[in-house]
Amino acid sequence: MSTVTVRAVLRTGSGRAARLLTGPQAGVFAAIVVLLAITQARNPVALQSDNLIEILRSTVTYFIAGCGATMLLVGGGLDLSIGSVFAAGAVAAGMLMNHGVPWPAAIVLGVAVGGLLGALNAFLVIVAQVPPFITTLGSFFAVNGLVTVLTEGNPLFDFPEGFGRAGQGEIGGIPYLVVYAVVAGVLCHLVLEKTRFGYDTRAIGGNESAALANGVAVDRVKTWLYVISGGTAALCGILLAARLSSADPNSGGSSFAFQVLAATIIGGTSLFGGVGSVGGTALGALLFSVLANTLVLTRVNPLWQNVATGTVLVLAVMVDQARRRRRFRTGRSG
Amino acid sequence: MTTTTHRPTLELRGITKRFGHVTALDDVHLQARPGEILALLGDNGAGKSTLVKVMSGLYAPDEGEIRLAGDPRRFATPAQARSAGIATVHQDLALVECLDVATNLFLGRFPRRGLFVDRARMERETEEFLRSLDVTVSSVRTEIGMLSGGQRQIVAIARALKTGADTVLLDEPTAALGVRETAQAADLIRRLRDQGKAVIVVSHDMQLVFDTADRVQVMRLGRVAGVRTVAETDRDEVVALITGSRRDT
Repeated sequence: MSTVTVRAVLRTGSGRAARLLTGPQAGVFAAIVVLLAITQARNPVALQSDNLIEILRSTVTYFIAGCGATMLLVGGGLDLSIGSVFAAGAVAAGMLMNHGVPWPAAIVLGVAVGGLLGALNAFLVIVAQVPPFITTLGSFFAVNGLVTVLTEGNPLFDFPEGFGRAGQGEIGGIPYLVVYAVVAGVLCHLVLEKTRFGYDTRAIGGNESAALANGVAVDRVKTWLYVISGGTAALCGILLAARLSSADPNSGGSSFAFQVLAATIIGGTSLFGGVGSVGGTALGALLFSVLANTLVLTRVNPLWQNVATGTVLVLAVMVDQARRRRRFRTGRSG
Repeated sequence: MTTTTHRPTLELRGITKRFGHVTALDDVHLQARPGEILALLGDNGAGKSTLVKVMSGLYAPDEGEIRLAGDPRRFATPAQARSAGIATVHQDLALVECLDVATNLFLGRFPRRGLFVDRARMERETEEFLRSLDVTVSSVRTEIGMLSGGQRQIVAIARALKTGADTVLLDEPTAALGVRETAQAADLIRRLRDQGKAVIVVSHDMQLVFDTADRVQVMRLGRVAGVRTVAETDRDEVVALITGSRRDT
């Protein structure tokens, strides 16, 4: 356990530079470059701006939820329910709009629904003391069922034009979606790395009883982390609905939850808490989009995508573990 | 045992603590004086840890009185004991391994500047504070996970002192340490005394006790078996008190 949680996060200037070259993100970055190069060699469409923007656009959905997942994992939590909360957000916003609620309000309320579901998870984890894995696996199924019952399994559509524009518009060739993702990413990065909330989060994930003994408001911070996780997942669902002008109760699901967690973990975030960064998650999410793109452009059967995703995930964590063990040993003897 | 020259910082009078039918502490008296190291000794089950928990506010005694600088006090929580000036360093140290020295020293009370944590101030104050304790670390940005057991112990003690405590309670500070590290920890404990703190050290380590302590208080089966000044006793007598082959009362 301790060999896993211990990782160098030396905050020195040289450390930061060194981390770019030797950190977990370096490997992910290299993998992205290699994949793009391979693709380009076999299909010159790869590096054209249209394709690059398409890659970014498909990254957005995973990345925004990944920001919430990163913060929660760093804080020592886990949320599997994001797959269902994703659809719940989209369906909630869709139903509200179909009942005449203006689209901006529907987006805010849809995100709030996600936040409330997160708060429910937090309640079960903190007060009822059900382990996060069980709690959020349970809420994954329950929310998924609720959404299906409410919609009878049918997608919602006929949304106001403004809603569609919010998901499909571009500014200077850059999709709004990408802009939202950048804003969300910067915000979450600042909260996690710079604010007292972020410091408390890392302390809780690193050693919860130590944080508690030293006066960190553990329960309050954890509650907010689950709320943020639910809120960002719902926002992703809503943004996809805006992009497609349709809110599908079958969107998201377990594959979404696992993709988000995989991207987060590949980006260097530890399942055991305390360690992780939003920047790493951005690279992790990007790697998966590039991988999918490569398979399409090189005409590999897309059914291979999950095989590739799974292999990359396990490989990345293996490499990371080996590096941490080495670092830990040299650190202790020095 | 009372002296008029040193008014005790922390004083326990007739402390009794029961758990069901078990009397863990029975009429225990204790005095911690400024500028003095008191070692608390005893076999397993002698009541040392219960006594530490009473002093650090984790347990409320069933009978008896806790006095700080002469005033009777009651601690409902560890936080109350801490803010009253009793700093406790528990055996598990309660450090976050993946965070650095400065961050661990400010755990639970990170200074802010505007919206963000004031890292520069945190690092500056950590350096100043460690210097005031005569502790040198290579960098306050070093993660706890990279430090040796002795260095961790020193960080934990430093953090306990940051609250401005004048009574310091150390629970088995050298239990997990090697010879050299134990010497380092002993050095820091002596410096605390020299700064005028009242230091209470719970330890099994006779060497440490006779090297650092000014007085020893031996517990046996929940009672005080004897109190001695180190200068006027020897290991044989202390061991006899611990094992019960010799008794004062």
